Formats: sequence, structure tokens, C-alpha cells
Amino acid sequence: MKIPENFLYYLSRHEDCSERLLARAGHLRTEDLEVSQHLEVARIKKMVYAVMGEAHRMKAFVRLSYLGTCVLYGFFKPRHRIGEHICDHFARRNAGIIVVLGNGSESWISLCREGRVWRDHGRGLNESLERLKSALHCSEDGCEDGCDVEGLWQVYYDSQYCPERKNLQAFRRQMPRRDQEAAGLRLVQKKKNASLEDFLCD
Amino acid sequence: MVTLEKIAHLAEECRFDSLGPARSPAVLDVDAEKLRTLGEGTRHDVCASTFSPRETPLPGICHAFTQDGRCVSLFKTLYTNHCTHQCSYCTNAVNCSRKAKAFSYTPKELARITISLYRSNYIEGLFLSSGAGRDEDNVMEKMVETARLLRQKFAFSGYIHLKVLPGASQTHIQEAVELADRVSINLEAASASHMNEICATKNYESDILQRQRYIRDMLSETSHAAQTILPAGQTTQLVVGAAGESDEEIFKRVLYEYKEIGVRRAYYSAFSPQRGTFFENKKAQPLWREHRLYQMDWLYRIYHFQPGEMRHAFNESGFLANADPKMAIAREFMDKPLDPNTATFPQLLRVPGIGPRSAERIVAYRKRQPIAAKAELAAMGVRIKRAAPFLKINGWRDTTLEMWQA
Repeated sequence: MKIPENFLYYLSRHEDCSERLLARAGHLRTEDLEVSQHLEVARIKKMVYAVMGEAHRMKAFVRLSYLGTCVLYGFFKPRHRIGEHICDHFARRNAGIIVVLGNGSESWISLCREGRVWRDHGRGLNESLERLKSALHCSEDGCEDGCDVEGLWQVYYDSQYCPERKNLQAFRRQMPRRDQEAAGLRLVQKKKNASLEDFLCD
Repeated sequence: MVTLEKIAHLAEECRFDSLGPARSPAVLDVDAEKLRTLGEGTRHDVCASTFSPRETPLPGICHAFTQDGRCVSLFKTLYTNHCTHQCSYCTNAVNCSRKAKAFSYTPKELARITISLYRSNYIEGLFLSSGAGRDEDNVMEKMVETARLLRQKFAFSGYIHLKVLPGASQTHIQEAVELADRVSINLEAASASHMNEICATKNYESDILQRQRYIRDMLSETSHAAQTILPAGQTTQLVVGAAGESDEEIFKRVLYEYKEIGVRRAYYSAFSPQRGTFFENKKAQPLWREHRLYQMDWLYRIYHFQPGEMRHAFNESGFLANADPKMAIAREFMDKPLDPNTATFPQLLRVPGIGPRSAERIVAYRKRQPIAAKAELAAMGVRIKRAAPFLKINGWRDTTLEMWQA
């Protein structure tokens, strides 16, 4: 990954970033972060990479479900302050649909319409979804569209596995358990299909 | 920030917008066996790109990884597994004794599955291949129709990779090129004679190479037009070792593809025998063979090595050893250690353990201060263990076995 021009944005989203560190990083250029071996610069670079990495994996791993016809929602509990950033990404990808991401304690709501994004930041995911249900006048039963996308995906995902190329080490490196949990992923934790060999080869 | 109620009100108004919102498609009822069988048909097909300029591109996004460590970013499927070709390695071939039940999608069904998976963020796009069916033009037409439905009916802005079937008509290829982000025709073998060994029903020159030239010509004709078509270009894929070809023969074919056909990149898939096929009892090729060919490919495309120097990586029989080819080339050509403070960028790239990113960092770093220790190189991403025998820093170099022998 290359350090982006707007690295200060990513730094500001880090859970441990202070105003003081942000002010000091303001004097740095992208090239400084790329080559400098000063301890503090190396730390800033590491923090930028940590936020970029989590943002990238959340864009990949968060799964969305339909609530009615104009709301998509998903579980999401990031370590860094990237809730709004990720929610906006999904809103732009699904223009005209409200995207709600969140967990038990907070949620982010975004809607992209004609290139402009509207946002809200609520408390828990369930609370935001309840409020949306009443605002959109859709009942509990009428909201779900009945399409089992998760089921479709699971069948397709299983079909792509080549047993002759089995490489659990690479799989675990690419899909760290920590990020799977942050994105609420359960599909790859296929404990019911695991063999004894899966536990011995680590 | 606006209130949630205002957002709900704006979303309801979206149905009056000119394009309308990207609403959920109707309820899907898909046969799981069909989904699995047609999905399994593309297990060995590879596409590493999800580049689509229709929205902000996401570099190499992978929505999941299978337990073989490979990325799943696309909905890879066959349109139909019915095929009249006699490929000796393929489970869909007409002469396969353990052939699965024949399935086929309809364009509408396939488009709806794709859009549902895309909206729920399981995939970045569609990779559509197919068996030839009774008539390859008929199947190709359906594949194009699927892409058209996605683009026009569902306003799908994600990535579409369409496989062009061997022998498909120029008209259908033109339509595929206009709708897809990438198209590809699998070469499968390194030459016409090798193709005859693995599939007697495909004509290497007219069914495959000629179709690749059609795509090349279509791209060159439209390169000056305002609208760029096929942003991710055309690619190809080879089965490694099915016809007994050497690595050098494969590499020479790939060089031809890069220079003459203009493919964006080549993919390799090590042959593994499938039950019921004609090659069932043939020995599987080691996965490292595929990996070494990818390394050679990388050295040519990314490191810009010359084919003349790269041929030293092959042994007398034309095969690569199970070792880094860059190291073999460096041993052949780098007889004197290199000073990273004075070496040019291409020279740095030829040192094992130094890649394009670390070479860029070295060049930027030494403009500020000279490199004085190996630790500084390590901090720039250089793999010191591999690079040290080829480097001389401040007049010092590591002792090598060759020095003692001298």
C-alpha cells in the first residue's frame, strides 16, 4: 500500500490519535512517511496503515441485508473511527437506498442521492432500524424481502473451493478472525464442516 | 448531519428521480444444485482484477477467501455446463464419463442473482464463462444478453468479465467488448500441436488466436474515441502441463500474447486431473510450477526484465526450477556487488529482495542522505537476507562462498 496524499484524514480516524500528534503530522509530506526512519514518523505511518487496512477490509467483509425496499443494513463494529467513511462508501455504491451500519451501541446512517450524501449518527443499530421502520411506514412482516442472499452466497462460496489447493494458513492470514468479527461475518467460520486435520495443521 | 426522518423522506422521494433508486430485485428462487454445479465449473478460472471505471475503483478488493487461500471477489459461474467440445482435462467435455447433470441459467435469472449478491456486498462483479452448448453463438448471445440486462435494466456499475467462447462470431464479440470491463479467451495450450493433444475439436488458429486478434483490432479502432471501451482489456489463461509442454514454450507463447495480441495479462492454472475425464490418470502438476511462471510473468511485466536475460532462468530442458527465477538471473548476470547509493533504478530492480516499491524508496532516501547500513535498507522494505550477497554498502559486502573459493 502506498501512503495516500490525504493520509492526515486516515490518521485522524485512528483510535489513539490525539490532537497533538495530528498537529505534528501536519508538517509531514507523503514522501517523509515513505522513507523517513524517525521513530515518531514510523509510528504515524503504522497508524495510517492500520486505519487504511481496517477500512479496506470492512468495505470487503461487511454484508448488507434489505429492510423493505429502500434500506440496506449491516452489523459493523470497527476499532478505528471509520463508521461514517464506510457507511458513505456503501451509500454511494447503492444510490437512492438508505444504508445503516452499526452495532449495539452506535450506528451510522447515510443516503446518497444525485451525488450528494446525507448522514445521521444514531445510538444502537436496532434502535435506528426501528425508527426507520416507523418513518418509512413499513410493518415488521412487510419489510423483509424474503430473498435468501446469504443462502445463495454460501452455496456459491462452497463451490469455489479446490481441495487440491487447500491452504488454511493463507486463508487465516487473509481473513483474520478479528476483522471477521468486526464485520459480523459468520459464513467462513464453518466449524461444523471442519475436520480433525484442520485443527492439527496449524 | 440531518435527522433520520428527513433521510427517510428523501429516500422515499428517490422513486421520482430520473434513474430511480437501485431497489431490491424481486424474490429469487434458485436451484442450489444448479448454482453449485455451474459455480464449480469455474473453480480453476482466474481473474485478479475488479477494475471498473464506472465507479471509484477499489484496488484488489476481496470479499472473502476460500480455504485454499484464494480470493473471492466475483460471482464466477458458467452460463451452461453443456458442451460439445472434447477437452481431455475438462469435466464438462462431451466425453467425460462422470459428467454432471446439464444446467443452464436464463439471462434474467443470472442478472438477478448477480445484482442481489452485489447489493449485499458479497461480490464486486460478474465473471461469466460457459460451455459451448449446441451452438457457441447461441450461448454467447445469452451471455451478452445477461450483461446487457445488468447494465441497462439494473443500472449495474460493477465489474463484468465475459469469456469469449472459441469460435464465437465477430458480432457477439463486439457486443461483449462494448458491455464488459474485461473479456478473455482461454489459450489453454502453448501451441497448435499442444492444443491437438488436449482438445481435438478446437482450432487453435481460427477459434482462439483469430478471436483474440478481433478484440485487439476492436480496441485499437476505438482507442481514439471519446469513450473508452473494455477498460480492463483482454486477458488469457493457460493450463500448465496438461499437454506436456515446457515452461519455456509457455513463456514464449505468453510473450507473443503480450507483444502481438496486447493482452493485459496471462493467468496460469496448474493441471490437476479430474475424475471421469480422459486425463484422469495423468499426473497432477505441482502448484509451484504455476507460481514460478507467475514470477517470470511478473519479472517481465512489472520489473521490465528483457526476454534475453530471462531465458537463463530455464534449464536445458526448458523447465524452471522450484526456486526464485530472479535469483537465478541475478547469479548469472550480477558478478559484482552493487552500491545502493549509486545504482540506477533498473539496476536496483535486478537485485533479489528489492522490489519496485523498495527501489523507489531507496532512490528517494539517498537524495536526502546516503545509505550507511543494512538496517536502513531493511526499514525500506528490502529483504536483506536475499539482497545482501549482491550489495556493497560503504565499501563493505557480505562474505560469500564464491569469495572463499576464489
